[in-house]
Amino acid sequence: MSRHAWREVKRQLRESGAAGVVAIVLLAVAGVWGGGFWTLHRWAERELLARGQATTVVAVARGPAEAAALHQRLAARFPAVRATVLAPRAVQDELARWFPELATVLLTLDEKNFPPLLQAEVAPGDEHAVAAWLRGQPETTLVESSHAWQARMEKAASRVLAAGFALVASLLLGCAVVVLLVVRLLVLAHADEITILRLIGAHDGDIRRPYLISGALLGAAGGALGAAALGAARFALRGALPGLTVDGWLLALLPVAGAVTAAAGAAIGLASLPREP
Amino acid sequence: MITCEHITKSYNGRPAVRGITTRVERGEFVYLTGPSGAGKSTFLRLLYRAELPDSGVIIVNGVDLAQLRRRDVAEFRRHLGVVFQDFKLLRRRTVAENVTFVLSLLNFPEREQQRRAYLVLKQMGLQHRMHAYPDELSGGEQQRVAIARALVLQPDLILADEPSGNLDPERSHELLELLKTINYQGTTVVVATHDRGLIEAHPARTLFLDHGSVVADAWVTTT
Repeated sequence: MSRHAWREVKRQLRESGAAGVVAIVLLAVAGVWGGGFWTLHRWAERELLARGQATTVVAVARGPAEAAALHQRLAARFPAVRATVLAPRAVQDELARWFPELATVLLTLDEKNFPPLLQAEVAPGDEHAVAAWLRGQPETTLVESSHAWQARMEKAASRVLAAGFALVASLLLGCAVVVLLVVRLLVLAHADEITILRLIGAHDGDIRRPYLISGALLGAAGGALGAAALGAARFALRGALPGLTVDGWLLALLPVAGAVTAAAGAAIGLASLPREP
Repeated sequence: MITCEHITKSYNGRPAVRGITTRVERGEFVYLTGPSGAGKSTFLRLLYRAELPDSGVIIVNGVDLAQLRRRDVAEFRRHLGVVFQDFKLLRRRTVAENVTFVLSLLNFPEREQQRRAYLVLKQMGLQHRMHAYPDELSGGEQQRVAIARALVLQPDLILADEPSGNLDPERSHELLELLKTINYQGTTVVVATHDRGLIEAHPARTLFLDHGSVVADAWVTTT
C-alpha cells in the first residue's frame, strides 16, 4: 500500500474517535465470547462427554455365581472388552463412597441386599452390541450404558452450542453494523472532501481503500484485544480448570475474523458513497 | 482542445444547456459569460465530466467524454485543473497538503511533491503559507491555493467556474492576471464569469450564454 494510502488510513482511524473505540470493544467482546464459547465447548467434549473414549456398560447380575459366569462368557464373546465383576460388598462400599450422607445407613445393611455388578469398558462402536448381548443373557436383571447419559448430555450441549453460536453471530453482525455506521459517519463527515478528491482526479479505489482498511484495522484490533483477553482468562483459570486449553489457531483467527467482519461492515457502509455519472 | 457538438443537458425536464456547438483551440483563453442560470456552470461541469450530456458530443483533450469509462474519469481529470468559486479546499489539510494531494495519489516521491508544491505556491506568492490551514487564509489566498492545486500537475487545460465570485475587485483582477500569465505559458484556460467588467479589463474570446445556448461568440474589447 502506498504512503498516501497509509496516511489516509491513519487520518481515518484518528477521526473515527469514540465510535471507533466502541467498534473495537464490541469486536473484542464478540471475540472473547466466541473464542471462549468454542474453548468451553471443546473442553466439555473432551472432559465431560468423553467423546471418542471408552463407554461403560454395567449389568446387574442375579447373584455372584451368575456374575462370574457372565464375566467368562462375555470375555469369550467379546475378547477386546475389559470387564470386571464388582462383588456385593464392593458395590455397597462404592455406593457409600458416592453418597456419603447415606453411608451410615448403607453400611449397616446386609451386603446381600446389594447385587453383584459386571462393569465392562467397551469401545464406542461396540457399545450397542455388548449391551444388547448382555440384555439377552438370563443372568442379568438390568443393563445400563453410559452412552445414554452421554447422549442426553450431548443433546443438551448441542442446544447450548447452537444458542451460543447464534449469540456470537448476532454479536458479529452487531459489530459489522457498528463499523458500517462508523464508516458511514466518516463518509458523511468527509462528503465535501470526497467530492473534491474526485474532482482532482482520485480514483474510486483511492477514496474507498482507506475507509476499508481503517474498518479492517478496527476489526483486527478488536479481535486482537479479544484474543488477549481470552488468553488472560485461560491463564487465570489454569488452576481451577487445568484441562482447559485455548487453541493457538483460535487466538490467531480472532483478529482475522474481526478484520473480515469489520471490512464487510465498512464495504456496506461505503455503498452510500456517490458514484461518478 | 475542446470540441462540443449539439450538446444538451436537462434537469428534471428543465433544459440547462441547449444544443451548444463550439470549439476551443489549444492555448486559447476563453470566457463563458451570461446571466445567472444561463448554463455556464452546467457547461463547465459537462467539460470536466461531473455530468454527462443528454445528447451531443464533447471531446476534451482528445477524449470523447460520452464514451469515457467511469473508471477512466479520474485519469482524465488529472490532465485538467479545475478552479471553483468556493475554492473547494480540503479544510483539514494544510496548504501544502492541498497542493500535493494529487501528487501523493500518483505516488510522487515526497521530495518531488514538496519541490513542486513550493514552486507552484511561490508562483502564487504563497510559499510562506505552506503550513497554514485554509481557514487561516484570506479569500484571495484561498483562491490562489486552489489555482496552485490546479496547476501542480501542469495540466493542459484549466477550467475556472466563477473564480472571482468570492473576491473583491482588486483580488479579482490579480486573479485574472494570474490566469492570463498561466495562459501565456501555454495552458488553455476557460473561465466562467458573470463579471462583465472583469472581461472588459482583461479582454479575450468570450462565449455569451443565455438560457443554455451560445448567443454570441466574440472578442470583447474595452468599451
